[in-house]
Order: sequence, then C-alpha cells, then structure tokens
Amino acid sequence: MSESNTSDREIVITRVLKAPRELVFEAWTRPEHVAQWWGPTGFTTTTAAMEVRVGGSWRFVMHGPDGTDWPNRVDFLEVVRPERLVYDHGDGIESSPHHFRVVVTFEDAGAGRTLLTMRSVFPTREQRDFVVKEVNAIEGGQQTIGRLEVFLETFQPR
Amino acid sequence: MPAVGLSTTFAALADPTRRAILARLAGGETSVSELAQPFSLSLPAISKHLKVLERAGLISRGREAQWRPCRLEAQPLKDAAGWIETYRRHWEQGLDRLEAYLQELQRDAPQGAGGKNRVLKKKVTRSQR
Repeated sequence: MSESNTSDREIVITRVLKAPRELVFEAWTRPEHVAQWWGPTGFTTTTAAMEVRVGGSWRFVMHGPDGTDWPNRVDFLEVVRPERLVYDHGDGIESSPHHFRVVVTFEDAGAGRTLLTMRSVFPTREQRDFVVKEVNAIEGGQQTIGRLEVFLETFQPR
Repeated sequence: MPAVGLSTTFAALADPTRRAILARLAGGETSVSELAQPFSLSLPAISKHLKVLERAGLISRGREAQWRPCRLEAQPLKDAAGWIETYRRHWEQGLDRLEAYLQELQRDAPQGAGGKNRVLKKKVTRSQR
C-alpha cells in the first residue's frame, strides 16, 4: 500500500500533547498504559498479549459501555522508538482481511510537547465510493445526508 | 472500531461483480437469472457471488422455490458508512483520554500508572513471552 495514492481514503487525526514524545510513545506501547486511555469514552481495554516490535502483535478486547466485547488485533509493521509506528488493525479473526493500516508519528513540538499524527487508510477507494453512493441512493433522509457530509469530509484529500 | 460484521461487509464489497450486483439490486428485487444477464457469468458463478453477499447480510433471498428474488439490505452499508464517522469520533475521545492520562503520569512518580493496573499487569505478564 503506497502512501502517495491513499489521500482520498484516509482519515487523519492530529493532536498536540503536553508531554515529551518518549512518554507519549510509551503510553502508546505498554499494556498498563493503553489500559488507561485506549478507546472512546466509556470503553475499557483488556490486553491478552502485546509485543511491540516488527512482526509482533497486540491482541486485546475492547469492552463497550453496553457490555459488547470487540476483539482487536494490531500487527506491527514498523516500530521506530519514539518516532513512528505502522500497524495493521483488524478484528483478530484469522480469516478476515485487515480493516485498515495506521501510521502513527510522534514529533517533537518543542517545550516538552508532542505532535501526534494518526493516519488510517481505508481498504480501497472502490469500497469507499460504493458505500457513499449506495447509502446516498437508498436513504434520502436528512439524517443520512448529514452523516454522509461528515463521511465525505473525512475523506477530503490533505 | 473494528467489528466482525464490518470485516465481512468490506470483504464482500471488494469484488467489482458483487458491487455491480448490489447496484442493480438498488433498483428493486430481481431474480437470479435476471441478475445473471448483464454479466457474462454462468448461473453457478453468480450464485457463488450471491452466497457471499447473503452471508455478509447485504442481500436477502425470497423463500419461493422457483423464483427466489434477491433484495438489497441497506443496513450493513449504512453501518460501514457510519463506522467511518464513528471511527474519527472515537479516536478524538481516545486522544482526550490520552491527554488526561499523560498529565496524570507527569504529576505522579515516573513509574506512572501505579497500583490500579495490578490485575491487568499480572494478566499481561503471564501471556507475554
């Protein structure tokens, strides 16, 4: 998956964090740390195994506020401490394809701060386009249009 | 937020013939032989694609033995579109939590996380090499 032609199907999230990047990297790559923050509000995370090295994987279950369990698996492709992580993120089912590739960069932003950038690449442009087109065709409702706008905005080339 | 169902949806959507079948079904219920017509595919080949789509919940089939019309099921597609939006929102929330946690870590001793993770740590240690 080359990075140059993925801008139309990637989600980029950035954040400046008030902590040195060594610490941010550690918070990202140790099970006792990720348990404290990983996932959206109301979720908890249980790690079964975490091996942060090229070829290593992190297997964990996210527990949703409604009691649903979400199995997850992260396979590390690049690990450059404390600068960069590249991984494939899937649901941990052996036969299922990976959902997306994620590149996380940790940049020194000065004054003990870190610029964190997460770039998640959606599987293929065709899949994305199809989802957009069909949802649009099937649901004319205001709610869906609102959701589509957000959806499309998410994929603006950057 | 990866879900088992979404993985199946995306896998089913990865094939251009299956996408074309779904696009056709967006126009309404259609029989298998009608569906096969525009594609230069045999009925068994079409049936194979339909099985994949059915397993993914993207279509449903009528019960009538002779005329088993295929119908598009919108929910998995909506879930897939909603998932993108949800993904971003979830990550924003996760990073809010990371931000707060980093503040906490820097206030506390350098060992950081402290006693509240004892149970998890034990689990992790056991399953690591």
